[in-house]
Formats: sequence, structure tokens, C-alpha cells
Amino acid sequence: MPPFADSAALAQVTGDERRVWNQGDEVAQALARGGVIYEDPATTAYVQTVVDRLFPEFQGHMQVAILKSAQLNAFALPNGRIYINQGLLARLQNEAQLATLLGHEGTHFTNRHGYQNERSVKDSAAFGAIGGMIVPLLPQLVAVTSMYGFSREMETEADVNGFARLKRAGYDVHESPRVFEHLIAEIKAEGIKEPFFFATHPKLVDRVDNMKKLSAGAPPGGDGTSSIDYAAKMMQVRVDNLDMMLSMGRAKSALVMLSDPERRAELPPYVDYYLGEAYRLRGQEGDAKLAEDEYRKAIEVAPEFAPSYRALGMMRLKANHYVDAQTYLERYLELSPSAPDRSYVDSYLKIARRKAGGQP
Amino acid sequence: MKAITALMLVLFIAACAQVPSRIEATRNDGPDKTYTVDLPVGWIKETSQDKTVLLASRNGYLLEIIRITRHPLKDAFPKTKKAAGDSMLPAELAELEIAEIKSQDQFTAALSVLENAPVEIAHEEGFHVRVSFKNARGLSIQRVVDGFTDKVSYYRIEFQAPVLYYFDTYYPDFQKAVASFHLSNTNKKTASLSSSVVILSPPER
Repeated sequence: MPPFADSAALAQVTGDERRVWNQGDEVAQALARGGVIYEDPATTAYVQTVVDRLFPEFQGHMQVAILKSAQLNAFALPNGRIYINQGLLARLQNEAQLATLLGHEGTHFTNRHGYQNERSVKDSAAFGAIGGMIVPLLPQLVAVTSMYGFSREMETEADVNGFARLKRAGYDVHESPRVFEHLIAEIKAEGIKEPFFFATHPKLVDRVDNMKKLSAGAPPGGDGTSSIDYAAKMMQVRVDNLDMMLSMGRAKSALVMLSDPERRAELPPYVDYYLGEAYRLRGQEGDAKLAEDEYRKAIEVAPEFAPSYRALGMMRLKANHYVDAQTYLERYLELSPSAPDRSYVDSYLKIARRKAGGQP
Repeated sequence: MKAITALMLVLFIAACAQVPSRIEATRNDGPDKTYTVDLPVGWIKETSQDKTVLLASRNGYLLEIIRITRHPLKDAFPKTKKAAGDSMLPAELAELEIAEIKSQDQFTAALSVLENAPVEIAHEEGFHVRVSFKNARGLSIQRVVDGFTDKVSYYRIEFQAPVLYYFDTYYPDFQKAVASFHLSNTNKKTASLSSSVVILSPPER
């Protein structure tokens, strides 16, 4: 089956392939209706510019969206919609790495992998293995196949064609193996066992091998290597991803992200608070002390950031330091008078005041 | 879509294999007799074989469901693999419960917390959390979880229903269930919130 040459070829899609596209439309609608799209027009537009730079002949037909998910995944539906999770976006280091992933995913669409794969996967073990993980995520088999990845041949084709597009668009191709090496390191460190494509270790090893072969001998240089520019664009995504990870109790993942001083430097000054939260949630021996130290650092560098006071106040309360607890919790409510957890804090503050006053 | 509906049902009532029965009296024992709770007469109830789950619904589990679970503290949060502690503050339990709900699937991961406050349940200090999320059809669903611990178990009393008609209609039945919830075992914590704070460690200064 020949790849689509350009946008004009898309109008020729009929019959069974159109049916699969319609399924893709349903998945896209389900994702939009389900409230899982990360609504950040500026970041979405930025990612879209990278897609358009890689696939200029399909401009207007390959729409990208960011999903509110901390999981390491990106996928393309057969109809050309590309989804990238905020968790993956947050972990990349520069635009060339983002382009590597988007070139790979976009190729699944231009080379019609979704359609070709739809039937063959239906009876395979992959569906059984992954089905339970995604349900009740999405109703369509097409979603399962798109998210979990394609056959090895198709993935290799996506590597080769994606790489060619990366090169043609002027990105530094030497970033292409690095993105997957970096993801492998993160997955190992985090002990991730999620069966999603970019969190599947053997598949990432294939990606690294392919990209190393493809980029070997390529001249140095190219665009998209600035981690500072990328970090500036991804600041909010990274903070939101940290919030998401911590609110899901994924302290270990957050710690991996935050234990690198270079990455911490790319985040807002109150990032120490998140590190403190990660230690507190991990809850290993000695973590309480580490958490407290980080909260204090956060207060030092970002004295107007309210959550640090709450966190420290709660810790001091649990350690029976009632005067301290009162001070921190009061400061929290001063800075955040309409805090959503105000009723908890009020009740703890009442205890702290009573105990600080020497009452039982 | 029928398939997903059926699978959602299976997931939500997982491990429940006892024959459903009509609720004949307001006062009901928990499956393992560790608690009693008032449930609406005429609803259908079902319990799990391992006696950890009690379900009740009037029109079907997808439309409105009251679910009461009791887990050992160490197994309180199976998806996030976190344990509850009998000395945890209600805010900490609520935080773990929200993480548990968020870990259910991609839709609940994007939930919004509408309410999160301390409450007293069965004379124990607990939490009340209300969250909102959408399903793949865009239907707004709300779930309320009231939870607390005794010395050995984590109790979770949940209500879930679509916002459209069902939530407001049957939420009062859930509120009555929570208000009536009574522990009949001997594992009650004697510590109050204030004393649960002091039992953790002696003052350092």
C-alpha cells in the first residue's frame, strides 16, 4: 500500500480505509468529550508548528493535541490526528527530540499503518494484553492498536521515514537516538511497567538502534538543540505534569525528574516544594526530613508560594511542633485565603493553637 | 459503546459474585458484620464473595451506585499500592483516595476535585471528597467518597452517578447511608484527631 503523497491523496480515501478513519474520528471525539485534552493553546500551537515543519505537504490535515496524562506515550490515529501526552512532552529535552517523536508518529499516518494494522491486530495477543489497560479508556480497537504501537516492520519504517523528515526539516539528527536513550534511562530509573509504546523498553531499544544507524555519519549541526528554548516553552507543561504525577502518588517518577539539578534549574523557583512533596509521598525512612528541608528551601526562594507553608505546617503539626505549625498554617491561609483545602487547614490550625497554648 | 458500558460495569463491580437481592429493611449489616448501614428499601444490593464490598443501586450500577468497601489498612489503595495508616490525618487519607481515583483510567485522571473536607463518620475522623469527571461519551459523572480508618481497616463509602438527573436524585440516599454508618466491631480508634497527632512522636523540643 503506497504512502499518501500529499493532502490531495487524502480525499481519495474510501471504503474500508474510510471506515477505519471514521473510527479514528470517534476516538478523537471520545478524547475531546472525555475532558482529557490538555488545554494549552500556546503549547499546542508550538507542537503543531513542529508537525507542520516535518510534514509541510499535509499542513492542515495532521492535527496535534496534548493529552492530560503523565504516561510516556504518543500516538497517531489512522485519520492523521496525533496525540502526545504531557508526561512525554515534559520529559523531552529539546525541539529536535520532539521532532523525532512527531516524525515517527506522523509517518504512521502518512504510511497508512493504522489502516493496515487494524485487522491484523484484532486477533493477536496484543489486544488481550492491552485491552484491559485501556478499557474503559476508549471504545475502539483502533485506539488500542495506535497507542500500543505497530508491527516491528512498521515501527522501523516509521523510524526511517521519520528520520528522513527530521533531516529534511533541518533538525539536528544526532538528537534522534538521544531521545530514546533518555527515555530508556527514565523508564529504568522509574521502574515503569506501563504497556504504552514509549514506555516499552524493548521497543525503545529498537528505536535507539535504528536511529544510531541512521544518524551515523551525518554531519554535525542542525536546529532544535536548545534545551533552554524548549524548557521555556514547556515550563507550564512540566509543572502541570509534576502536579499530575504527585496527585497520582507517583512520587518515584517525580523524584527521577527532580533529582537532576539541570532539570530543576529549568523549572520555577518553587520547584523545591515539589521535590519535598515527592519525598513526603515516597515515605521511605529519612524522607520526612528531606521533605522538610526542601519545603524550607522553597520558602526561602519563593516566599509567596503558599503550598510550601501548608506542607511544612502539616509536617510540623505531625511532629508535635505546634507553634511552628501554627505559624506556617496561618501564613498559608494568609497567602491563599480561598484555598480549596481550607477546612482541613482550619481544623489543624485549631489543634495547633490549642496545643501551642498548652491545652490538651 | 455497548462493549465499553459492559466492561465498565464489570470493572466497577469486580469481585462481586453473590446473588443480588432486594433490600427489604432500612438497616443492613455489612457483609462481614463489621458495620451496619441504612440503605433505601427497594434497591438491589449485592456483596462480594470475599465480603469486602457491598453494592446498592436502584436503577443499575451505571446510573447510581452506593459502594461500601472495607480493606485492611495495608491494602487500602490497590491501584497506587499505598497503605493507609490509622494515625494518618484525614487530609492525607483524602490525598491517597484522590490518587487512587485518578489512577483508575485516563478519564478519571483528568478529574476535578469539587469538595474535599474533614468529616466525622461513625464517630471517627474522616474525609469527604467529591470529584467530577467525564466518560468517553462526554457524560459528566460525579463520585463522592467518604472514608476513614479504624485500627485495622480502611472504610470507603462511595456514591457515583451521572450528573444528569441521577446524582441529585439519589445523593440524599447516600447521605443517609453515611450518616447511619455504624461500626459494630471492636476495632474503633480511641484516638481523636488531636490525639492522633500527638501519638506519632514525642515533642522534640
